[in-house]
Amino acid sequence: MDKKVIQIENLVKYYDGRCVLDGINLKVPEGCIYGLLGRNGAGKTTIIRILLGIETATRGQTYLLGTESGRLSSKQRGRIGYVAEAHNLIQSYKVGRLIKLCKGLSLQWNEEFFNHLIETFRLPMDRKVSQLSTGMRAELNLALAMAIDPQLLILDDPTLGLDTVARRQFLELAIELLQKDGRTILFSSHILSDVERIADRIGILVAGKLVVDCPLEELKSRVKKLRLIFPEEAPESLHLTEIINQQKQGREMVVTIANLNKQKRAVIDTFKPSSCTEIPMSLEDIFIECTKPVPAAVVD
Amino acid sequence: MLTLIKREIEDHIVYFLVAVIFAAMLVATEISVFYKIGSDEPQSASFNGPPAVAFLVLLFVVIWSTLGYCAMGATQMYTDRTRKISALLSTLPVSRGQILLARIITGILGILTVQVPFVITTAVLLYIFVPPVPIYGGFIFEIFARVFLTSFACYCIGLQTGWNPSKITPTLGGLVLTCLFVPLVQIKGFGLEGLFILSLFIAASLICTWHKFRSASL
Repeated sequence: MDKKVIQIENLVKYYDGRCVLDGINLKVPEGCIYGLLGRNGAGKTTIIRILLGIETATRGQTYLLGTESGRLSSKQRGRIGYVAEAHNLIQSYKVGRLIKLCKGLSLQWNEEFFNHLIETFRLPMDRKVSQLSTGMRAELNLALAMAIDPQLLILDDPTLGLDTVARRQFLELAIELLQKDGRTILFSSHILSDVERIADRIGILVAGKLVVDCPLEELKSRVKKLRLIFPEEAPESLHLTEIINQQKQGREMVVTIANLNKQKRAVIDTFKPSSCTEIPMSLEDIFIECTKPVPAAVVD
Repeated sequence: MLTLIKREIEDHIVYFLVAVIFAAMLVATEISVFYKIGSDEPQSASFNGPPAVAFLVLLFVVIWSTLGYCAMGATQMYTDRTRKISALLSTLPVSRGQILLARIITGILGILTVQVPFVITTAVLLYIFVPPVPIYGGFIFEIFARVFLTSFACYCIGLQTGWNPSKITPTLGGLVLTCLFVPLVQIKGFGLEGLFILSLFIAASLICTWHKFRSASL
């Protein structure tokens, strides 16, 4: 797990004077399924596009399979599967022609697996890509990305537009196929349950900054939500660092805190709360807390 | 590379079909003119019959060789940008350099589709029918080089103006530049200097297109 398949160093991107990515640092080891989360416009797609060399960075370096993104050889590109957010397939082509083109340009093509996917998804070969539904386009894009037996699969919101059955089918296929040989997946999605289901490691982008970057289990154990009831009016502040969110209403205070330890508990105890209960948090809860304005960083 | 060239040809097959039609017309006209000159019939003083047709065909071919190839270059770049073709291709084992090279080779093939049959026919006809005015050895090559470079320069103008999301710039920009460029070439004449300037223009144009294409967000 030492070999870094994806590496981002101090990545900065400006669009028309607006900072979209602000000093992103990220390392994804081989065999990892990395879930990149963030609200719309947080910069997930921009990171992926820069990684693939489709977009240029304002500052900083990105590496894929140990090579700088802009210098990837054809052979290295052939080992990377990519599913774009809007399924950027050539709309004017018929499905059959597009498949033929991708097959012709690919270095390796798993015909058997591809045919299996096409049959599973029931994709019509004689229809134009523009005539396919969003879900079918997503399925075609996935099938094309999977057919090359990628060492690294980059999925930018791949299940967008897929129905529940197809989504589950795809996720199972992805896990089964790619985890078998220790391949790596960078997975960006809005569907947190999907990410929670398959990701080993989580990154949360907020306003162009990576505020969370740690293993999923660690994230769940490190971010805690406490309900504190005080005998009188709750204090204005608990004077703690790494508070992600804090809400106060009369005697009650709900606080989301990162890296809760004995010292922090001791500080809380000094305010003498009459009760302190922990509220269980799902990934979705953590995501919502983290993407509220000015969250504390939970980066390794 | 062959797959990329094939894709470009299939996507812009209209230009190749028109080129084939013009090549056929040009060859047919050339043969008829040579036969007419070769026969003992007195030359018609007015522009009636074959010379008038020949003039018309030549005019069409000149327009095609300039505006037609400019339009081809512009269409290639414009459709790439609007349909996000390179955005897809560059995620496959293909570099941007290969995409652009395949495009340029397709443009050259388009130009040669008209010129090669014309040059071969001219050479054969000059061999069969001895021209009334003596022609020096490199005549055919020189004509071929001149017309090829002019067409290719117009194609390069198309490549430059086509990489634009708006429809107006590729259409009008290409048209205006070609209309300005071709008369300049005609005024300057087709001497060695002319060929040199054309070659320089093509090189500068290709470097500029490459730089624009390489650094663009796809």
